[in-house]
Amino acid sequence: MPRIELPGPEQAPLTTKLYFAGGDPGPIVSALAQVPELLAPTLAFVGAALGPGAAGIRYKEFAILRTSALQGCRYCIHAHTTVAVDAGLTPDEVRGLRGEIPLDAAFPDEAERTLLCWIDAMAGATGPIAESAWSPARRWWPDHLLVELATTIGATLFLNRFATGFELPTSPEVVDRLHETGFALDIDPVQPEGELVRD
Amino acid sequence: MTDILIDHPVAAAVADGTLPGRVWLYSNYHCNLACSYCLTESSPRSPRRQLEAATMLSVAEQAAELGFTGLGVTGGEPFLLPWLPETVRAMATFLPVVLLTNGTLFEGDRINRALLLADHDVALQISLDSHRPDLNDLARGEDNFAKVVAAVPRLVAGGVTVRIATTTAGPLDDPGLDPLRRLVTSLGVAPENHLVRPIVRRGRADLEDLGVEAEARDIPSELTITADGAFWGSFGPTVRSGRLDTDLLLTRTVLPLSAPAQALLGVVSGMPAGNDTNLGIR
Repeated sequence: MPRIELPGPEQAPLTTKLYFAGGDPGPIVSALAQVPELLAPTLAFVGAALGPGAAGIRYKEFAILRTSALQGCRYCIHAHTTVAVDAGLTPDEVRGLRGEIPLDAAFPDEAERTLLCWIDAMAGATGPIAESAWSPARRWWPDHLLVELATTIGATLFLNRFATGFELPTSPEVVDRLHETGFALDIDPVQPEGELVRD
Repeated sequence: MTDILIDHPVAAAVADGTLPGRVWLYSNYHCNLACSYCLTESSPRSPRRQLEAATMLSVAEQAAELGFTGLGVTGGEPFLLPWLPETVRAMATFLPVVLLTNGTLFEGDRINRALLLADHDVALQISLDSHRPDLNDLARGEDNFAKVVAAVPRLVAGGVTVRIATTTAGPLDDPGLDPLRRLVTSLGVAPENHLVRPIVRRGRADLEDLGVEAEARDIPSELTITADGAFWGSFGPTVRSGRLDTDLLLTRTVLPLSAPAQALLGVVSGMPAGNDTNLGIR
């Protein structure tokens, strides 16, 4: 049960009704509708940060699913496990991002491993990022891509705390997809991999 | 005299009539009465949901800057707030104020609090629903009629501008209201200061199956400020079974007033004309 009331279509404020016109807009939109002036700008930011971009959906899902796993956000892990599958990630890659198998085992490509190490440092720690995470990532990835994914990670951290703090429920459709694709609903806590913080 | 921000889109919208000129404030939700058709389920046990005096003053000042032309204060019963007359008097230095009250808290020396509003740009709007005490008190509570008809002449004699508001479940031009119209005149209130309006089916009236159905576009789009946020119309922030209706919520932000005013303008600009005139809600 969510910790807050999620308005339905009848109680949705005037300026949010458009989001309810097609049926249940999901618990994040319903929750944000309680503060109508936040809904459109928040969705615009989240949509830009998590949606299609120069980085491509594969690397966006690296950032989103890995960040959510490090934060232990059940709602976002559930939702983005299915998105990652739909984006074409292999089952092992999804398990790696979820922390169910080591990243090295799931991602043989060195460039991708450096990116995941950098994501772990960005999303799984506080303080400046260790050179051992920065330098390899800089060899493979341009600044603009790291800026884009940093924005994705930041938006995901917001959604992780929002969904976890309010205990937003996973939709039945997502639960069904997880069963179909063989991914567990319960997820053990995930530790970031590699050296994260600069001394 | 406050300078109007003439280049502000809200000021332009008020000036050209796109937005109504009045801003409403729900000073509080609790009330010494518990009327059967109350939009806000107000009663002595209601949560106060009270605006701070400083917030009310800021709303008044910023409303004037944005080109609004008047203020309304309602509740609950505003006179339950001890600081209310002084605050409303200060608000009236920015814009004219209509202050809604049930008129039952003015017995004896307590009328002096209302007389503080004499000779200021404030009109007291007092509810009276029937010329018959039994019918009036049926909906509004015991001794309501006697208290109102005793208070109104004293207020008028004291220099307070008084309007009478009648809420009816029947036709607004019902000849059965003529004795009430005569009574109002006899209390010293001019006919043009007697408003007759329908019950709107929201709040407790909805639960009691009373009043006229009204959608957002039927309700005058007067910006309405409460402790819970800003709403479309003074009929917006209603309460049903103890829960605040949010279907007409505009923003949780109330200050700066330009924030909810802009949100209201955005909604008004995209909405077709309503049926408010036919329903008599204005």
